Amino acid sequence: MSSTISLKTEFVKGIWKENPVMASLLGLCPALAVTNAAMNGLAMGLATTFVLLSSSLMISALRNFIPHQVRIAGYIVIIATFVTVADRFLAAYLPVISASLGPYIPLIVVNCLILGRQEAFSSRNGIGRSLLDSLGMGLGFILVLVVLGIIREILGSGSIFGVAILGDWFTPWMIMILPPGAFLTLGILIALANWYNDTSRSKDGGVVS
Amino acid sequence: MSKMSLSTRMILVLTLITVLSGGILAGWDLVTKPKIAFHRLEALKTAIGDVLPAHDTYTSEETEFGTLYIATRDSSDDPIGFAFMAVGSGFQGELRIMVGLTPDMTQLTGIKVLEQIETPGLGTKIVVDPSNKQDPYWFPAQFVGIHVSPEIVAIKNVKPTHNNEVQGITGATISSIAVTNILNKQIADIQKAWASKGGPES
Amino acid sequence: MSLFLLFFSAAIVNNFVLSYFLGICPFVGVSKRVSSAVSMGMAVTFVMLITAVVTWLIYHLLLVPFEVEILEYVSFILVIASLVQLVEMFIRKVSKPLYDTLGIYLPLITTNCAILGLALFSVLRDYSFIESVVFGLGAGVGFTLALVIMAGIREELELAPVPKYFQGAGITMIVAGGLALAFMGFAGMI
Repeated sequence: MSSTISLKTEFVKGIWKENPVMASLLGLCPALAVTNAAMNGLAMGLATTFVLLSSSLMISALRNFIPHQVRIAGYIVIIATFVTVADRFLAAYLPVISASLGPYIPLIVVNCLILGRQEAFSSRNGIGRSLLDSLGMGLGFILVLVVLGIIREILGSGSIFGVAILGDWFTPWMIMILPPGAFLTLGILIALANWYNDTSRSKDGGVVS
Repeated sequence: MSKMSLSTRMILVLTLITVLSGGILAGWDLVTKPKIAFHRLEALKTAIGDVLPAHDTYTSEETEFGTLYIATRDSSDDPIGFAFMAVGSGFQGELRIMVGLTPDMTQLTGIKVLEQIETPGLGTKIVVDPSNKQDPYWFPAQFVGIHVSPEIVAIKNVKPTHNNEVQGITGATISSIAVTNILNKQIADIQKAWASKGGPES
Repeated sequence: MSLFLLFFSAAIVNNFVLSYFLGICPFVGVSKRVSSAVSMGMAVTFVMLITAVVTWLIYHLLLVPFEVEILEYVSFILVIASLVQLVEMFIRKVSKPLYDTLGIYLPLITTNCAILGLALFSVLRDYSFIESVVFGLGAGVGFTLALVIMAGIREELELAPVPKYFQGAGITMIVAGGLALAFMGFAGMI
């Protein structure tokens, strides 16, 4: 059944149509918590994608050996292992980023996005397809985190990726880099996505895709 | 596979996964541990260097109120300054401040807030104040040379006139006072601890 | 920090949901009815208390003495997952009504980042055993509080003319933003 879906679709779906944050509301915790600056969003997105890819690789390779009853236990051990690898990598080689993301890197373990993809996809598909699916989902996740990070950083600090772009005339909206700003920005983004999907659907002649 | 009972398979597979995980992590621990320890030490060295005058080396001494770092020059054993980490409540959460003291422990040689979760744009001025273009570090910088007795006071709206006064941050009074409170309490503690260990005040 | 301040800080000032964004999934998913929000909150508080105790013991009596702190995440998540299972079985055996109220929420708790977050924060902040337990209790109460307030607002929202594109997750986020703003008013009380 899944083999009738083209590889390209498998990859592309995660970026917009089944975007983990915007469409499925998965991984909201990191999406809100670390996006006070674009760089943090990017680092978090990359770390999550790394964990997603390596867990998918391992789980799709082992999918026929893991008994159904203990699969969740097996998955979380595998996920937690790769999260530890990513966490220690950041602490050892990028200490500044590691310090600014703090405990949100280990919290990738409980990012529903990762366990969700293993359960829904990697445990039922081959290695190639699972990796494509994970890559798409990972990119979709990075996209949302970076966009959130850019919006909040411009409005909250007047800069992008740490480079000041708005001049002295601009008074930063402190609220944007505080927790309420995270909720408000994501709420508005979700509404915009709904609006975009709705208008592009009606252009297609009302076909619900 | 099918000959094995289900429970054997469950145990076997889970054991296998756990062993694999343990192996990967053990290897990775060997690679990363020295690097992480190195970064920690570097961060500590930098923080001590930031709050004390130039020194060649420092030793650490455990006291009942935490670790005291004693800085010396190669030429003499007399300490040229002391540093310690002061920890206490800020506006929203814990503040960790590296504090530098003169050898007689009566004046500050500098402070540096290492960890804080104060309100961005207001309380965070205890670290850096981007709105003051000429002197973004004006708040921590004022502590250099401040006398610790009878106590350090953060005053509002007027320029400090006494040698134990610093100017508080407008809009972040609680953060400013939190810093001076933490300093007053813990400098007194560390003075006592050092005196009991045969320091200059004994 | 005194134990009362620690409790107050975890429950209100640095609320897990509204300022650390931990446990957002059930916050969005479950908080549609006040009654189910209360049950979910109780289940989470209960698991948090046990987690605080067990993970503290594991970290300080097992991982630190054997110098295998690198296994922190793997062991914590395994312990949490097993604990949740055990609690579920235990409640089912002991009390049918309690199981009917809390039981269905328990499986969701394994992947609730608030539980793992609690264990991680305790280690990160070097809490003593008692502090960890108080922190766990505070975090649980704070989680329940946020969930119940949110559910109350969402019950009202059903009757409100929410703009079309904001319906569902959008308005939930906006409301959460307002709540987070309100909770910021508690800053400075610790």
